[in-house]
Amino acid sequence: MNPRLGKLLQLSTPLWGVQWMPVRSLGIRSLNPPKPSKYDTGPGLPVLESAPEAALRRKARTTPHRTGAITIKKGMTAIYDQETGKRTPCTVLQLDRVEVVSHKTPKQHGYYAVQIGAGWKHPENMTKSLLGHFSAHGLSPKRHVCEFRVKNESGLVPVGQTIDASWFQEGQFVDARSNSKGKGFAGVMKRHGFGGQDRSHGVSLTHRSLGSSGPGQGGGSRVYPGKKMAGNMGNHQSTVQNLKVLKVDAENGIVVVTGSVSGPKGCVVRIQDAIKKPWPEIGPAATAESEIALTEEPAATAAA
Amino acid sequence: MAALPAMRQLGCLRSLMRTPKFSPMHLSSRFISTVYSKKPEPIPFPQNLPQQFRSQIPIRLQPEQAPKKMKVYPPPPSSRAVCKDPVAHVAQSQMAVLDPNGERKALFDYRRNPRSVKPGDIVRVTFKNGDPFNGVVLSIRLRGVDTSVLLRNELTRVPVEMSVKTFSPNVQSVEIIQRSQRKTRRARLYYMRFVLELLGSPPENLLQFRALY
Amino acid sequence: MIQLKSLLTCIDNSGASIVECVNVLKKKRPATIGESPQTRVMGEEPNGEWRQSNSLGNRLGDRIVVVVQKSKPAGSEAPTSSALANKVRRGDIRHAVVVRVKKELQRPDGSVVRFGDNACVLVNKSGDPVGTRMNGLVGQELRKRQYSKILSLAPMHV
Repeated sequence: MNPRLGKLLQLSTPLWGVQWMPVRSLGIRSLNPPKPSKYDTGPGLPVLESAPEAALRRKARTTPHRTGAITIKKGMTAIYDQETGKRTPCTVLQLDRVEVVSHKTPKQHGYYAVQIGAGWKHPENMTKSLLGHFSAHGLSPKRHVCEFRVKNESGLVPVGQTIDASWFQEGQFVDARSNSKGKGFAGVMKRHGFGGQDRSHGVSLTHRSLGSSGPGQGGGSRVYPGKKMAGNMGNHQSTVQNLKVLKVDAENGIVVVTGSVSGPKGCVVRIQDAIKKPWPEIGPAATAESEIALTEEPAATAAA
Repeated sequence: MAALPAMRQLGCLRSLMRTPKFSPMHLSSRFISTVYSKKPEPIPFPQNLPQQFRSQIPIRLQPEQAPKKMKVYPPPPSSRAVCKDPVAHVAQSQMAVLDPNGERKALFDYRRNPRSVKPGDIVRVTFKNGDPFNGVVLSIRLRGVDTSVLLRNELTRVPVEMSVKTFSPNVQSVEIIQRSQRKTRRARLYYMRFVLELLGSPPENLLQFRALY
Repeated sequence: MIQLKSLLTCIDNSGASIVECVNVLKKKRPATIGESPQTRVMGEEPNGEWRQSNSLGNRLGDRIVVVVQKSKPAGSEAPTSSALANKVRRGDIRHAVVVRVKKELQRPDGSVVRFGDNACVLVNKSGDPVGTRMNGLVGQELRKRQYSKILSLAPMHV
């Protein structure tokens, strides 16, 4: 509900009368709430394949059961296996004050998701509306906020719960999403690996440009959408799938994953259970942690 | 005196002797900066105001409309503050396993340890499977856990270069066979590739190539 | 990094001294003796097995097809074994196994090996070496690839 709407209604109400206050919704306001379709409703009618429910059903197999976490890429090092002597290059990620901020539900938003916040931002540097979003849930202002899709209601971790490094287990696989290093405006040879043109044989001034941007009259005399051209390269999200978690250090918030992750040091990396591997079995340690956090949270808020 | 023609040139200084006259209007036209005045304190809403007079006060000044104080919660303890450099933390935990007493580290810390391996030395690396590899140290790359040493030798008349990670568990032992007699002038002896190519296997021709650097 | 037109030295006593690569078998990349560690990391299965992929089949072998460009002079060998000395002659097309490469090879423990030349050993279709002796060191990577005969003939492996 729009809070401004409440004020407008207040103007029309007599001041000495009963003040009508809008019901405050503490969740995320849906910009595009799900609407029932005109076409596939009715008794006995199958759900259309183009409907959002059908899309969710198709994605159900590859939607993680658990939420992920926001981490910061700290750099790379290597880990040796003592027995085999194998050296594994790895990326060190750090979790910092990762907490559940809010939820998204199919009723309001069309899908299940957990909104996660990490870090801390000075409240003076934050808009009041966003500050209110955190304060309403008893959370400190978060520097990074993003959402992780989960399969069903069981994946909705209670708001305010801390997600620490022990959320991930050593040996499990994760997908890491982050923005790659920006390369600026790049030509087609660098950006898409085009071959360029000849150094000589009559070619002048167009040695690194693309040849033709498409067919002529036969192809409609137009450039097709998605034509590879020069433009900004890098600084776009890239996912690295199936990175093995080599080490977990809950005390220092460290998660070490194999191989490389896109982006510079200090960039935000979102990690979640790998969708192309069997889902990890949640060990007793992870559940115990969450229970402690759950019991501690209300006490902390009450004290504050 | 003013009439003296010799003094007439000083007439330009006459204006300095005049007492300046400043009128209030003058002042206002000369200085454009305004005087700071404090923001007026909000008058507190009268406590015992009868209900019937409330409607005369604009809505924005009604006590119900006063901006609510938002409670900002303090951040939880940060793991970032606990561990400032996680990469070093992971690397150190590796080093504690791979090189518990720091011997291997000292052996290759050529910038600090005078008894360490230095470029130009001849070194024997024995691997865990028993294979030895002898060679001249061309360079030492100091990078913590990833420290490596580049060795070069000629085996069966084929030049072989091997870059060995010094903290690898596969490396059982490293011993210096022969130290370079003189301090080398550079840290990377890549030019030795050509020198060694000319002279052949180093141990036999050691004295010959010593003369070259 | 052995590809079409690469010249290699032949280190066995089959009679060839310099051979030229005309084809790399079972892979679409230049031949070498190691495996690219990057492809191994990406291809790891949960149970620790390495996936055998066709396009990145660095596992399958570093067999190449070569043309003998220069053969050793037949008289250099002892007269009794002269019949045996040159099993191949100039222009012969044979299979070969790459045993040394100039391009750096990274081993699983992170060490890097670089040889001074590209070298190979001629083999027959079943993978057994044509020659009976070898004069030069070979890479240890052959051990994983069941070329034990070559390894046993070689005076040294690094």
